[in-house]
Amino acid sequence: MELLKMTDISKSFSGVTVLSHVDFSVEKGEVHALLGENGAGKSTLMNILAGVHQRDSGQIVFDGEVMEDISVQKTEQAGIAFVHQELNLFNDLKVYENMFLRKEILTKLHTLNKSAMIARARELFESMGVDIEPDVLVSELEPSKKQILEISKAIFANAKLIILDEPTTSLNNNEIDHLFGIVRRLKEQGKSFIFISHKMNEIFTIADTYTVLRNGCFINAGRIADTSPEEVTRMMVGNSFSAEGVYQKRELGDVVLSLEHATGQGFEDVSFQVRKGEVLGMTGLKGAGVSQTMQTIFGARPLLGGKILINGKEIKHENIHLAMTEKVGMIPSNRKENSIIPDFSLLENNYVSEHTLSSRRQYINKKKELAIFEKHKQALNIKANSPDDSILSLSGGNQQKVILARWLTTQADILLLDNPTQGIDVGAKAEIYKLIMDLADQGKTILVNTLEIPEIQKIADRCAVFYHGHIQTILPREEINEELVMLYATNVRQATEEQNG
Amino acid sequence: MDNKTVKTKKSIGTIASNYSFVLIALGIFIAYLIVNGGATTWSGVMNILRHSAVVGIIAFGMGLAIITGGIDLSVGSMLCLVSSFGVVVFNATGSIFVTLLFTLAAGALCGAINGVLIGYAKMPAFIVTLATMLIYRSVAQYYLRTTGVSIYNMNGTLSRYNAFYGFGQAKFLTVPLVGIVLILVTVLMVFMATNTKFGKTIYAVGSNERAALLAGIHVDKTRVLVYVICGLLCGLSAFLWMAMNGSVDPATLGKSNEMYAIAAVVIGGISMAGGKGRLLGVLFGAMSYTIIDKIIASLGVDALINDTIKGTILLLAVFIQIMLPLLRSRAKAK
Repeated sequence: MELLKMTDISKSFSGVTVLSHVDFSVEKGEVHALLGENGAGKSTLMNILAGVHQRDSGQIVFDGEVMEDISVQKTEQAGIAFVHQELNLFNDLKVYENMFLRKEILTKLHTLNKSAMIARARELFESMGVDIEPDVLVSELEPSKKQILEISKAIFANAKLIILDEPTTSLNNNEIDHLFGIVRRLKEQGKSFIFISHKMNEIFTIADTYTVLRNGCFINAGRIADTSPEEVTRMMVGNSFSAEGVYQKRELGDVVLSLEHATGQGFEDVSFQVRKGEVLGMTGLKGAGVSQTMQTIFGARPLLGGKILINGKEIKHENIHLAMTEKVGMIPSNRKENSIIPDFSLLENNYVSEHTLSSRRQYINKKKELAIFEKHKQALNIKANSPDDSILSLSGGNQQKVILARWLTTQADILLLDNPTQGIDVGAKAEIYKLIMDLADQGKTILVNTLEIPEIQKIADRCAVFYHGHIQTILPREEINEELVMLYATNVRQATEEQNG
Repeated sequence: MDNKTVKTKKSIGTIASNYSFVLIALGIFIAYLIVNGGATTWSGVMNILRHSAVVGIIAFGMGLAIITGGIDLSVGSMLCLVSSFGVVVFNATGSIFVTLLFTLAAGALCGAINGVLIGYAKMPAFIVTLATMLIYRSVAQYYLRTTGVSIYNMNGTLSRYNAFYGFGQAKFLTVPLVGIVLILVTVLMVFMATNTKFGKTIYAVGSNERAALLAGIHVDKTRVLVYVICGLLCGLSAFLWMAMNGSVDPATLGKSNEMYAIAAVVIGGISMAGGKGRLLGVLFGAMSYTIIDKIIASLGVDALINDTIKGTILLLAVFIQIMLPLLRSRAKAK
């Protein structure tokens, strides 16, 4: 029996089509995997279902009823629950308090009937086979239990369809098994799930059916049993992309950065070497440990084991300044939170790092700084009026270029770029790739972390693929293609190799 | 949307809101001239500078702390403690120079205690300085009790006493020396904030701590230094207070000074959220409050009304600072 049927859904944001005539349906009592790359339109489709966005055209039928103007409240009442990646739990309240929020059971005196609520919660958990104590603080629960608590909340609110958006990102393998156990049990009780994930092995473990979207279009749907991870990956990626003319072949120098069995928060036993002038692409799904590896090289996180050597010299302490004196620079992800000094001008933002290296001479020679900034401004093609303008007056791409200039001003030789094209429009992205290539040509060593594999294809000499804190493989340039990288990043490739070998 | 903010950057409205402290100080000064009328004298005007010195210098320290996103509630108590023991040191040594060294060092030490707890131990600035505010004054009062006198009095029979006390009253070309010290501190602070790398660091920490850290700034060390400087300035203030008054009553000296200092900083246009504002404003903020004292004195009304007026001016100043950008963006929208 069909529980949800979305037909011919289209949606565009300010003229850009993000969903075009998409069909999507879910049966009662099944786990349906919704697949697609970043930007394929999965979130938009789910947000339309959840009432966050309004569709431009198309029809939605849920549980036999046509749903017209959908609001978040209406979908909740209809029995659709959206478990977001960032959980909507109150950490400082207890488990049962979270469940009964605004649905509290009261005593005759209109005070909270705590024992009744705890008993009801315990009853529900038992029926679901969940091992959570209702009387503990949510902050004390493990990540998987929080995830399960969210699902329990949905069940408690009589949800028939539960949307799980990348629920396993912060879970370890045991926790994932536990979560899947609960999902299976609820499935048997007739609940339906939409499961959004990139991880192929999980999809093939838990899902019954799938739908693939690509660039806002419906590509295919079917039964998981009738397909393979390789085929699904091909459907997700398509063969539209080719790496066009940014990359230039260069002579690489000596090894300047090497990690030997490095272990830190979020990654384990990571080893690789990078040569002068090399561009190393690094990729992995969210939480795979790439970002943490970069931050550890930069000294922003502690190194818990192994070695990091820069120009053959071991860097021992968690110390950003030490990394900087070894000519390492990092553009962190999340520009607004981690890079930009919002009250500073372009010039001040540009010089803030250099100042820490030259702090013995305290006087600021503005004339000299302006001259050097002007040089970088032209080299990086930063579009701005005056160096004294606020950094916030620039577009995202130009802000990022100022941050890049910040590290060029410190004369850093090793640049760690963590998601450098985040929140930047397409034209500016292309410019940033070109700059990366030019800098590498000038002998800078560049590590780029990105989830977008076409980016890596454009610029990287090699690509390290991370999965769950480990390097799965380091592919040479010739072998970098989206499908293969995806297979490694989702751990499909590793598994098949083990079977074969 | 972002482009618009660029274009309006240099408009008159922006300058008015950036330098609103000048307008406020000017308004109050005109009120003073009107109230005083023909009785206005040059030395009366110069006295404004003299009487702004103690709170003004303290307010610069407060300004630095606020720019980093913190606060220093202990400034009044530091003034009290340092000047109390400053009297003891002067009476014991009879040397102005040693007394000056002592006040600066003791101030820096008191500030360092705040700074280490805030910067390295990561305790909230409000709580740390609230605690030291209680402690520093209590120490000054407790020690006084053990000596058996009711206030700390500088020993007038010492040979250097007249020179020390004289410095507090002296004028150079009709300008009080104490006022000149205030001007020098202003110049130094403004220079530090705008032309040195350390100055920029203070703003960076207050503007976006995380980004400052990832840009290589020693955020903890910057915080410690800021509170040390704040203590140092309180020490200098204590020295000036001794020169001007010759005695210290630890029960009253510096009481509410932290509040006046915060007010001077806010009227000076420095954001309580940290990261922005001009230190020059602090001078005008401090002088605004001194002028209010003078106006009330010449009106001959009850001095108890003083804080009502000061509070009102503070509300008014903040109101103007909030309303000006709003009015501007509204005018822009039309």
